[in-house]
Amino acid sequence: MAVTVKTFASVGEAAGALSSDRSARYLGGGTLVMRALNEGDVSISTIVRAQDQALTRIDASGPRITLGAGVTFARVLAERDLAFLHTPAQSIGGPAVRNMGTVGGNLFAPNPYGDFTVALLALDATVAVQGGFGTRDIALEEFLQSRERQSGALVLSVSCTRPASAEAFRYRKIARIKPKGGSVITLAAHLPISGGRIAGARIALGSMAPTQIRARAAERALEGRSLDTATIAAAASAAVEGTSPSDNALGSAWYRREIVGVHLRRLLSGQE
Amino acid sequence: MLELRKDIFADERDDNLKEIGKGTQRQDMLGHITGTSSYFNDHKLQGMLHLKVLRSTHAHAKLRRIDTTDAERSAGVRRIIRGADVPRNLNTLLSLINFGKDDEPSLAVDKVRYKGEPILAIVADSEREAFEAIAKVRVDYEPLPTVFDVEDALKLGAPVVNETYPKNAFIYHDVYDHQRLRFGDADAALATADHVLEQRYQMSPIEHAPTETNGAIAAPDTNGRYVVYTSTQALFFSVDTCAKILDVPSNTFHFIGGTVGGGFGGKVDTLTEPLAILGAMLTGRPVRYVFGREEEMQYGPPRGAERIYIKDGVMRDGRIVARKIRAYFDSGAYTRLSSYAAVKCAAHLPGPYTIPNVYGDVYCVFTNRTPATAMRGFGVTAMDFAIECQMDKLANLVGMDPMEFRILNAYRDGDMKAHRREAKNTALIECVQVAAEKAKWPIRDEFKRASSRKDGGGSRAVIPATPTDSRGRPAAPAQQRTTYDRAPVTATREPPREPPPSTPPPPPPRPAAPSHGATRFSSVFGTRRR
Repeated sequence: MAVTVKTFASVGEAAGALSSDRSARYLGGGTLVMRALNEGDVSISTIVRAQDQALTRIDASGPRITLGAGVTFARVLAERDLAFLHTPAQSIGGPAVRNMGTVGGNLFAPNPYGDFTVALLALDATVAVQGGFGTRDIALEEFLQSRERQSGALVLSVSCTRPASAEAFRYRKIARIKPKGGSVITLAAHLPISGGRIAGARIALGSMAPTQIRARAAERALEGRSLDTATIAAAASAAVEGTSPSDNALGSAWYRREIVGVHLRRLLSGQE
Repeated sequence: MLELRKDIFADERDDNLKEIGKGTQRQDMLGHITGTSSYFNDHKLQGMLHLKVLRSTHAHAKLRRIDTTDAERSAGVRRIIRGADVPRNLNTLLSLINFGKDDEPSLAVDKVRYKGEPILAIVADSEREAFEAIAKVRVDYEPLPTVFDVEDALKLGAPVVNETYPKNAFIYHDVYDHQRLRFGDADAALATADHVLEQRYQMSPIEHAPTETNGAIAAPDTNGRYVVYTSTQALFFSVDTCAKILDVPSNTFHFIGGTVGGGFGGKVDTLTEPLAILGAMLTGRPVRYVFGREEEMQYGPPRGAERIYIKDGVMRDGRIVARKIRAYFDSGAYTRLSSYAAVKCAAHLPGPYTIPNVYGDVYCVFTNRTPATAMRGFGVTAMDFAIECQMDKLANLVGMDPMEFRILNAYRDGDMKAHRREAKNTALIECVQVAAEKAKWPIRDEFKRASSRKDGGGSRAVIPATPTDSRGRPAAPAQQRTTYDRAPVTATREPPREPPPSTPPPPPPRPAAPSHGATRFSSVFGTRRR
């Protein structure tokens, strides 16, 4: 059976086509879906596309920003108001991948990819999803936990609050091949400081579990404290808690557990 | 100076070259930068079919049953090819030069020996339909114990990977489970050395990762011939390999290659051509078989991993008096070219140094890993890395500068190398001197004055007394001679010589005057006549 491509003008129609066909897959930039098709993934029989302009909108003027699911990393990098997301966007693929790859597609990228989602997870992002019964907002963490069951839904956009300062948000991707290798591990930290103390610490990790996860033990070690050496050491030693990394060609599970604390310490202490 | 043997290489080089310092256009560059170079995959032929293989999901398993009932009925399927359809479903690449036993099927029969081994091929109207049919094949595997470590594979009772070599090691000279080198008495020298340093080095497989993946398109031509567009790096080698596997004369094929989208050794194994041609033979249509990226990375042959143990004896003054090496080449499940890499490695020991006592055992080992193959300098690259790491450690051990330490131990013109060839045009000393100068690395005057053209030979040209040892000489079954010879070659192709160690052969005769038909050294066969 040949692969059918269906293109719709609105996201509503596209979402309908997605939810009615188990073999349908939404094509954003194609960096995941086309690769799967080229490698012979026969579970995909229908490609769904939507030309709705809402999918490519960027709203970055206010304190809360919204990125349409079809916004590419190249466009994120071209947007001055999104400077805090430039490091994560730059860490993805090479120029060709960044020209095609989208914010929405990244939510579905399996290990060792999905780095932008790590940044969004640390920023407490929410995901707007069009399902059979209209649009709803889901916390990104919740979305990721049920990612495997989300294939019938269409992601419209991702929103998050701009970090209070450039210092408050940090991101680091550990790769063997620079600048465009897959992730050994990826770390992002959002550490809002209030009265000299961290309030609302968020640490997100990529490649440390089947999906991107938050490092809650490390967050607890940071919460309500000042970011000093002792606090950083405590967070670093708690980083591995609750993780379940796997072996792959880039690194073993053992290696990932060994280095996650090291890199979290470097991230928090501003070491290169 | 480099001596070019004009008697042998009369047309090899123009004596009036003046190329250095000039920009020279590569002959294929214009096509590449204008995007007009023609690759095998640029040929889209009318009625072309697509071939995909079903690959083993187990590293080692018996094939109990292969059920293709649903696959046969799948849309667009033209032909399912099984091992029994391959005329000669057992080959080893170097059988073309009578080296090694046939050990690898084109399509697995009875059992699979590595994850990703092809089990059957499906020819269909489109790639998609081939993939869909592949997904419908049901294979009943009976997993077998696996072995992934070269030393574990050589232990008694290890799972037998490849029944052609039941001890999991390639057999050299009909007798030895390793390629060996003996020069002097390394054990005696180690016993009297001031320091002994033993180290272990482990290399990983390396994938060539070509931009163009392996592939071929075969099409029926007039007069019962087949035209084959291919990515092969070794066109005539691939022609003969296909002729053998498909059991037809090699003039059945018109191979068209020449533009390779990245090879580096990863496109000599002739993995796609035999099945593409067989598909064309069985369907009467053009057939295209090209690796996907994941197939290329996961199942395309890599540079083999090597494990190397080096034990050196060094004197306080920095002279290395003994070097003892054990190396294990991980060939994966089949020989491909690793057997040859081990021979090349043994001939290279102990590196570019003159050491009076050298002992080398190089094993080509079978494991349940992806078969390894050629890659730039294979057999030497990893060993050189290990040797040079070792040289730095030894220099440190005796408190010498590492550059001076290398100059002290470097081979010089006229020295006898451990495989009993006289060293010529050595120039390592000069290389180190230039490297030191360029790096502004201070070396003492006496080392600056050293020359590879002075103080070599003499006592350094003598082959030392070498004790014989019978270790590793089990009663192995006689090595199979492949009968694949399309031309009468008995006069020119000699079987491997006696193993070198027991009695050092006399130094190769040097022709007094240039003459045609001079003897020539082959690393596989030893000295042979051209």
